Amino acid sequence: MTFIPPNKGYLSLTSEPQMSSFFMPCNLKTLFLRGRSKNVAIIFLKILATGWLLTALSAQAKEPQITLLPTPAIGQSSLSRLMTDSSGQVHLSWVTATGTSSALYYATLAGTTWGPANLIQEGNDWFVNWADFPYLAVTDAGRVAHWLQKSAEGTYDYDIKAVFFHQEMQAWGPPITIHKDGVSAEHGFVSMLPLSEGRSFITWLDGRNTKAPKAGPEHHPADQHNMGGGMTLRAAVFDRHGETLEEWALDELTCDCCNTSSAMTAAGPIVVYRDRTEKEIRDIVITRFVDSQWTEPKAVSKDNWEVAGCPVNGPAVAAQDQLTAVAWFTAKDNLPKVQLAISNDAGASFGQPILLEQGSTNGRVSIAMLDSGNIAVSWLHTNGANATLRVALYNPIGELLAKTNVAETKSSRRSGFPVMTHQDNDVYVTWTDISADSQIKIARIEFNL
Amino acid sequence: MQAYSYLARYLIHSVLLSYALLSFTLPSAASLLDVEAVGSGSTNQYSATQAPSGLLPVQQPGWKIVNYWSKTCAPCRLEIPELNLLKDELTGSNIQVLGVNFDEDDRATTLRLARRLKIDFPTLTLTEVEALGIEPPSALPTTYILSPTNEVLAKLVGLQTKASIYAKLAALRISH
Repeated sequence: MTFIPPNKGYLSLTSEPQMSSFFMPCNLKTLFLRGRSKNVAIIFLKILATGWLLTALSAQAKEPQITLLPTPAIGQSSLSRLMTDSSGQVHLSWVTATGTSSALYYATLAGTTWGPANLIQEGNDWFVNWADFPYLAVTDAGRVAHWLQKSAEGTYDYDIKAVFFHQEMQAWGPPITIHKDGVSAEHGFVSMLPLSEGRSFITWLDGRNTKAPKAGPEHHPADQHNMGGGMTLRAAVFDRHGETLEEWALDELTCDCCNTSSAMTAAGPIVVYRDRTEKEIRDIVITRFVDSQWTEPKAVSKDNWEVAGCPVNGPAVAAQDQLTAVAWFTAKDNLPKVQLAISNDAGASFGQPILLEQGSTNGRVSIAMLDSGNIAVSWLHTNGANATLRVALYNPIGELLAKTNVAETKSSRRSGFPVMTHQDNDVYVTWTDISADSQIKIARIEFNL
Repeated sequence: MQAYSYLARYLIHSVLLSYALLSFTLPSAASLLDVEAVGSGSTNQYSATQAPSGLLPVQQPGWKIVNYWSKTCAPCRLEIPELNLLKDELTGSNIQVLGVNFDEDDRATTLRLARRLKIDFPTLTLTEVEALGIEPPSALPTTYILSPTNEVLAKLVGLQTKASIYAKLAALRISH
């Protein structure tokens, strides 16, 4: 299996961050160093230099401009997600609830307004969850979207259903189940990547082994949680019509209910997720598709967070060429943290984690890599029941360029996971406002660097 | 002398200009972190505010065992029978067993889920959870042991059994 990412005119990553020019006028210095005014002159020169230096630095630290965009979603809507296709167009997907019915929509951004809301699918038997919600991917030759549908058997079991958009018919095809296990179990926490020729790469958590009978007298930690085996991570490539071209089991024991994330590097696709060891260490790991096979999962950072439960707080990854960035939540020793790690070799190795926030956060991270190579990370800063959606911008070597509060929201689970994407060097972020009825919010952040 | 005057004026103007430029372009340390937010604050009105009759327990005296559960959490579902037994055995004592739907579904959905999950102990409303003032847990399942004044005495993360909770109560010298 070869992966050919869609064409995209990425900028070179080797260019240094832009620095404003700064110089000292030598003739003034020479003039001032004569005579009795030497000491005074030195002080003035220092003031002058400081002023110029601060002015020069200010060119890098301009305040981001935040613009709230109108929402294309009507009624009781939530679970919004943003994505950018290979042509640079931004798309928004969301779910609108009407009574017991749920409907998945998407719209495309044109300038600062959204195109019409397009219905993808609706149903009365969906499994709707604040942390595990639909994905839309727009490929070079079509679209694919998923939702979760309750299984016929099993009260808490659900399948991942997907539809593929047929360009030639200008219509969505029939729903398919992306996993072929036929087991009534939990399946979800999807991530998607568009590939070339209308193909798509999809990852998901697959609970097929949790329903398997216990084997032998030995008691694996997973047994304690899931009766049978543990939650697994699987991935597959689908053609434009939804046919499975190849499928892999990436990990036989993962955290049960944290979202997965995937990205395309110059070296191939990578998948980042929350692992689970037999000793209940639930750190963030990465697996890469190298030489036609998936590498052994490797910790992005050895946080060593031992927790015998699920944080419901998965990582986010973004990549461009070899540059790869992962943001995640951890809470070792009950100290919540949001961290960022950067790789220059497509995820083969990462630098030391950068601390974005600790103490007052419940994570829910998202990440976007701008055309400049700068990295935007969002997370929730919490203050009791209230929360602030924060976005920080880092350059490729991990230096903070800007940090801003985008909106006041709630730390409630019903606020969902904010999701970011980018267009050129602007960031778009969406979240759910639960101050009245659930409403989707979208903001554009221009960093003006 | 005239040269000094020009230079002094030049420097003063430079400093003032730099200051003026900075005022416009350089955000203060505080504003870098706390730009005025877009969007609005909100009231604490949630969709589930109706407590089941007779179950308003957060103001009652006594100790509380508060279990956070979720329909998506397999170990949460596994420990429910143990918590039901605990609730039965603690009936008549000064210790209550209470539940919280971590997913914050609306009240009707929460009660329906509680029935499906065969949860016999009261599930709190969102308003009651707020009144308790507990920081939502970082992982599921999590069970808190609270004092009569709702102070968190213990935070038990992961699958619990009746025995593990009794052991914690004993360690905290809470008799029942």
